[in-house]
Amino acid sequence: METGEKINKGLKALEEKVFTQDLCAICGACLSLCPYLRSWKGRVVKLDDCNLEEGRCFAYCPRTKIDLDEVYQGIFGKNYEEIEVGPVRKIMMARAKDPLFTKKAQTGGVVSALIDFALREKMIQAGILTPRDGDLLPHGQIIKGRKEILSCAGSSYVSGPTLEALNRGPWKGGERIGIVGLPCQVLALARMKTSKLEKKTPIDRVALVIGLFCTWALDYIPFMAFLHERVDDRSIKKLNITPPPERILEVTAGNKLYRISVDDIRSFIRPSCRVCLDMTAELSDLSVGTVEGKEGWNTVIIRTVVGENLLKRAKKAGVIETQPLPKDNLSHLKEASLLKKRRALDTLNENGGIEKAYFTLSANLIKRILSESKGIAT
Amino acid sequence: MKSIAQNAPGKTVLLMGNEAIARGALEAGVKVCAAYPGNPSSEIIGTLAKVAEEMDLHVEWSVNEKVALEVAAAASFAGLRGLCAMKQNGLNVASDFLLNLNLSGSRGGLVLVVADDPAGVSSSNEEDSRIYARLGDLPLFEPANFQEAKEMTKSAFKISEELGLPVLIRSVTRVSHARGNVCLDELPRSSPKPRFEKSLRFHALPATSNHKLLHEKLNRAKEMAEESPFNIYRGPEKPELMVFTCGSGWMYSLEALINLDLQERVGVLKLGTTWPLPDRFVLDHLKKADRILFIEEVDPFLENNVKEIYAQNCLALGLKAFFGKASKHVPNVGDLNPEIVTQAIQNLIQVPYEPRPADYSLRAHEAAAELIPARALGFCPGCPHRSTYWAAKIALALDGRGGFILGDIGCYSLGMGPSGFGQMRTLHAMGSGIGLASGFGQLDRFGLEQPVIAVCGDSTFYHAAMPALANAYYNGANFLLLLLDNSATAMTGFQPHPGTGSTATGKKAPVIDLKAICEVFGAHVEVVDPFDIAGTTERILRLLQDKIGVKVLILKRECALVSAKHQKRLYQVEVDQKRCLGETCGCNQLCTRIFKCPGLMWDKSAGKARIDEAICTGCGVCTEICPASAIRKEAV
Repeated sequence: METGEKINKGLKALEEKVFTQDLCAICGACLSLCPYLRSWKGRVVKLDDCNLEEGRCFAYCPRTKIDLDEVYQGIFGKNYEEIEVGPVRKIMMARAKDPLFTKKAQTGGVVSALIDFALREKMIQAGILTPRDGDLLPHGQIIKGRKEILSCAGSSYVSGPTLEALNRGPWKGGERIGIVGLPCQVLALARMKTSKLEKKTPIDRVALVIGLFCTWALDYIPFMAFLHERVDDRSIKKLNITPPPERILEVTAGNKLYRISVDDIRSFIRPSCRVCLDMTAELSDLSVGTVEGKEGWNTVIIRTVVGENLLKRAKKAGVIETQPLPKDNLSHLKEASLLKKRRALDTLNENGGIEKAYFTLSANLIKRILSESKGIAT
Repeated sequence: MKSIAQNAPGKTVLLMGNEAIARGALEAGVKVCAAYPGNPSSEIIGTLAKVAEEMDLHVEWSVNEKVALEVAAAASFAGLRGLCAMKQNGLNVASDFLLNLNLSGSRGGLVLVVADDPAGVSSSNEEDSRIYARLGDLPLFEPANFQEAKEMTKSAFKISEELGLPVLIRSVTRVSHARGNVCLDELPRSSPKPRFEKSLRFHALPATSNHKLLHEKLNRAKEMAEESPFNIYRGPEKPELMVFTCGSGWMYSLEALINLDLQERVGVLKLGTTWPLPDRFVLDHLKKADRILFIEEVDPFLENNVKEIYAQNCLALGLKAFFGKASKHVPNVGDLNPEIVTQAIQNLIQVPYEPRPADYSLRAHEAAAELIPARALGFCPGCPHRSTYWAAKIALALDGRGGFILGDIGCYSLGMGPSGFGQMRTLHAMGSGIGLASGFGQLDRFGLEQPVIAVCGDSTFYHAAMPALANAYYNGANFLLLLLDNSATAMTGFQPHPGTGSTATGKKAPVIDLKAICEVFGAHVEVVDPFDIAGTTERILRLLQDKIGVKVLILKRECALVSAKHQKRLYQVEVDQKRCLGETCGCNQLCTRIFKCPGLMWDKSAGKARIDEAICTGCGVCTEICPASAIRKEAV
């Protein structure tokens, strides 16, 4: 780079490096900050040019140049080095005890139960969750009660601009906020927290971050077009992907159940997901996912004191129950997580080299990821 | 100024060129006047409309120029005198009728004034309409000053009646819109009673024999031109250079000769009857000089026609050198001015002259900028079109399929520029936006995936859009028409039209409902207020995404300039200086950098936006676009 030349770190760069490269993860971190960006049906749309040299849109994006060490230092006080599933205080299995949560849940209902508990215990005054509209389009929403929490349970395998709700409000001021997010959203939150730009958002009042495990998310428009070609009833009630080795997308619409091979929908995976290093939402207070072969149970990774306290209190209050995660499941989890990292590195290599990627990663760590993921069955 | 209808023979009054033409028509006893407004012609009929009652005239704004000419021709067929006025584009619209009317002939004096807009200052094109006189074998006059504008109009009626042919008058902006002294003549006291003589027939058939008859009429016109007082030579008997000129070129040429002190050496032949040319008169003057320079606006019409006469007589005349547009001494686009003419003559006769510096016009602009606030060419404060384009811009961006807007003629043509956020991508004739949309709307079967939007104003809709809309529905086209109903022919000066409820003379008129017309034409029609930006955006998006076929969204909101005449501003608007984010991340001057309503000002020293109280119309639309809710409105 020429010395003295100013590198754009604003919307112009975001457009060049993220939007035109089809790398947007639709996390919502850049939305409702300014009038130039808006989301529409699973895409972030630029409405006008902004000529600022530096902007929060670029600074918060989980797909612009990220110094992972800097971010991990900011959140955990240590470098990015735990390459399996990120920083861990404890790992266990858990499930909600109230059938209210388990009945609607994708798996164990732990996320809904914990947010509900945190609200009731006034650990937070508002949650930001991701409900879906009538046509399965996800969006971020500020929630304050149990009914709203339940409406957000389950997954549509489509990501949405959850973090927009944080930027948009409305906030009274002073509320402590809990957010449930995908790995890309959790990374964006960490960037928002550690950014040196003037914030003008309530990010410093985010008191709890619950991460969701994620292998990929689908691009809304083509996926919906695909579904509507195959599903007669327009009102789709539930989507579920059965565990391996079957891997079938079950679509509940009307009174019918449709079964679609996951291989048929892989082409709708967002390109942004193919370069994502993070399966377990490593920058959260605690992360929640499924447990292979144990229906009705969630895997929970506790990463921070905040996460640990929440889980302890919820368990003590009888909101959730826990069990140790079986050894095999733990090694499977680590393998799956490493595999996602390796696939991302492979994709980046194919697309012009890891050195041009959106994150900076030492050669040593790259080597470790590649060698430790060797031999994992894909 | 006193009414142009004053009967004060011998009195000299200051008149605009277009008013002089109107006065000439009055002195000629015109009864029926029709036009579609278009700069620089609009004041002709506008002036006559004001005196319609006292002069007992029928004056109308017709829906388009072809109809206007038909209305005036009907008066002529009935034995009355009829006047029709239009701009150059209008003649294209009227040409189909005109090129039959020449063959069918006329009866009462029928004069068609076409005001050209060299440089296209207020037009979608630049065009020299004189070619129509040649094309249609019709007599053509070109006034060079204001007195001539009146006299020629009067004379044109007389010649038209004598020949049984419509006569054309070609004006240009600098004649139509400038003012000068005009000496008045008497106004007629009586007029014949109209009657269609059933023994007469007005049609072009049989075409060949009528064409032959037309040529005979043209020969008679040629003979008349030989004696015309409008053809004048001024200069020495044996000039070193002879300037052949017409129209506004006459004054420029005289001024150029004064600039160069060449009045004794260079002659100027001014032709007022530029088609057909008086051959003998032209030849007599060609003999006087060996070097000829042509000065005329836009095309080499006079230049080529004189060269043709020369070619036919070259053996007798001997060698001559011709200069003008062909020799590149005179530009063949844009306006002429005295400086251009001066330099052209100085190029041919080397006399000392310090030409105007190349950066003169730039410096003139800079000097003016110190006195006049800088304003870009754009929509007025409070203009509903700005809101419409804003909503359309957002809708098209969100839709994301690369949709585009096909433009049309009107204020909203400014949608091409920053004021309309560069959204409008085509601009041709009146109604062409919908015609193009009708075509684009067929291309999806070949793989066109982009949504198609046409814009069209209310007046333009009545003018030429309806056939295109019928075509679209009939042939199953798929597009969205944004029908910008601001209840005015705003760009040309707020003339009424069939949707406004009044006529040219201010009489009450039935309103032809745009929505009903569109529905009859099979379109899915919705109406929205463009000041509701969120609602408009949502409607446009939905219509683009959910509906197939011809869809019309009527954006109903009166022109801000019309509203200002009859109602108070709706809101007091102000910018909360504490909330305004200015240039910082989160706004970066959205209101003054992108939205650009002239009612918003950027206060450089404070780094904040402010309202320009003097020009804000209080529409309140900017309060909706401010991301910080810093712009506030309070009902007045």
